[in-house]
Amino acid sequence: MVNIIEQEFPNELKYLQTHEWVRIQDNIATVGITDFAQHQLGDIVYVELPEIGSAFDKGSIVAEIESVKAVGELVMPLSGKILEVNTDLADNPESVNSSPYGIGWIVKIELSNKNEINDLLSVEAYKEIVEAEKE
Amino acid sequence: MVDFAGFSMPVQYDSIIKEHEAVRTNAGIFDVSHMGEFLLEGKDVIEFLQYVMINDLNLLELSKGQYSCMCYENGTVIDDLVYYEEALDRFRMIVNAGNIEKDFQWLNKQIGGKDVKISNLSSKRCRVAFQGPKSDEYLQPLVDIDLSTINRFYFAHCKLNGMPIFIARTGYTGERGFEISFDNEYAEKIWGELIKAGASPAGLGARDSLRLEATYSLYGHEISDSITPVEAGLFWLVKPKEGLDYIGKNVLIKQKTEGTDRIIVGLNLMDRGVIRDGFKIVKNGNEIGYVTSGGYSPTLKKTIGLGLIKKQYKEEGTEIEIEVRNKLLKGVVVSIPFYRNV
Repeated sequence: MVNIIEQEFPNELKYLQTHEWVRIQDNIATVGITDFAQHQLGDIVYVELPEIGSAFDKGSIVAEIESVKAVGELVMPLSGKILEVNTDLADNPESVNSSPYGIGWIVKIELSNKNEINDLLSVEAYKEIVEAEKE
Repeated sequence: MVDFAGFSMPVQYDSIIKEHEAVRTNAGIFDVSHMGEFLLEGKDVIEFLQYVMINDLNLLELSKGQYSCMCYENGTVIDDLVYYEEALDRFRMIVNAGNIEKDFQWLNKQIGGKDVKISNLSSKRCRVAFQGPKSDEYLQPLVDIDLSTINRFYFAHCKLNGMPIFIARTGYTGERGFEISFDNEYAEKIWGELIKAGASPAGLGARDSLRLEATYSLYGHEISDSITPVEAGLFWLVKPKEGLDYIGKNVLIKQKTEGTDRIIVGLNLMDRGVIRDGFKIVKNGNEIGYVTSGGYSPTLKKTIGLGLIKKQYKEEGTEIEIEVRNKLLKGVVVSIPFYRNV
């Protein structure tokens, strides 16, 4: 069981209560799942990625993250078009476990409504959600 | 930690894949104390077991164990289990955790006038499975007998660093290894000794992925109170036992001779993804069966599974589709087992 203190919560990122993280640079958002999420899922073996160019609203499910024991979903934190997907995950799905905020990123989005950024959670708010979810 | 048959048990200690690989390359230990343990004593024990078990005790001998299914009259399975002949009037039996009460009551109900007494030792003793290619090497220094004299399925009573244990060369992983039982008071010490000896702790997740690769049945999945051993491909367990009656004999011998409408087969997925139990198996738009067990195989590095399908599709190479959430993924029937190294 990983202690909450040992888990990673990068300060500069934004979060969703469904355990996605978001890194925003100008009009582009990089999205992945948090350290808490990868730990809950266990060893990840497949990631089903969306098509580049497809558009999604905030809240849609855009990727499926299949682990040995369960399947998780990646929820769009912000509305936009898929710019890039992490094709390395086809050969190295375990990057999502070992580097969830780094090489384990999942999709990059071109944002269509920057106002939605205000609805994202700060690291403090996300930490509280994780605390509450611990058995 | 999850609830499993009323026990709090670890799905994994570290990573399911790492634990799985440790058992395949080194040695892993599983706490299987949740399983049931009975002692059957009395001069009629063998006659009794011949009646309630489908396997043949004439093939058994002292210091040896035998795997069997215990069936209902209609041939479906009450439990799969192993019993060990300690003496002509004394057998030790290991049963599945979820079926302890059911098995104990069923067995007692079948005794009739026979001289058989059954004791339930489940909560008095603990059990550990020590499995992997290095298991003999790591275990030998700790025990006071020569492990190389215990052949597969045989057992002994001996001492592990002075503590009395029952040790059998059996397992559920497809690797060489042992299953050990001992009184509760030695549990922590024995676990500690085995870790020091070089074994990695492994949880329920790895236990399932290992047994799936080795294609061992899991009660409630490949065998159950609605699936017979013949349907599960365990036709070899159904013994003729000439001149002896046993519960389920008529139905099972008939199934063995004539075949069954449905049968368990091995599955590979051709598309990317993971198949899991309960997923529908489809051919030409028709449902032909369902996945009984599925998952990612760390050894084969692909998704594998077992499914119960209509017999006309059981040939190796038959292309089928599996409904994974809202998509149909391509799969194929393959031969089993996927892996064995015993």
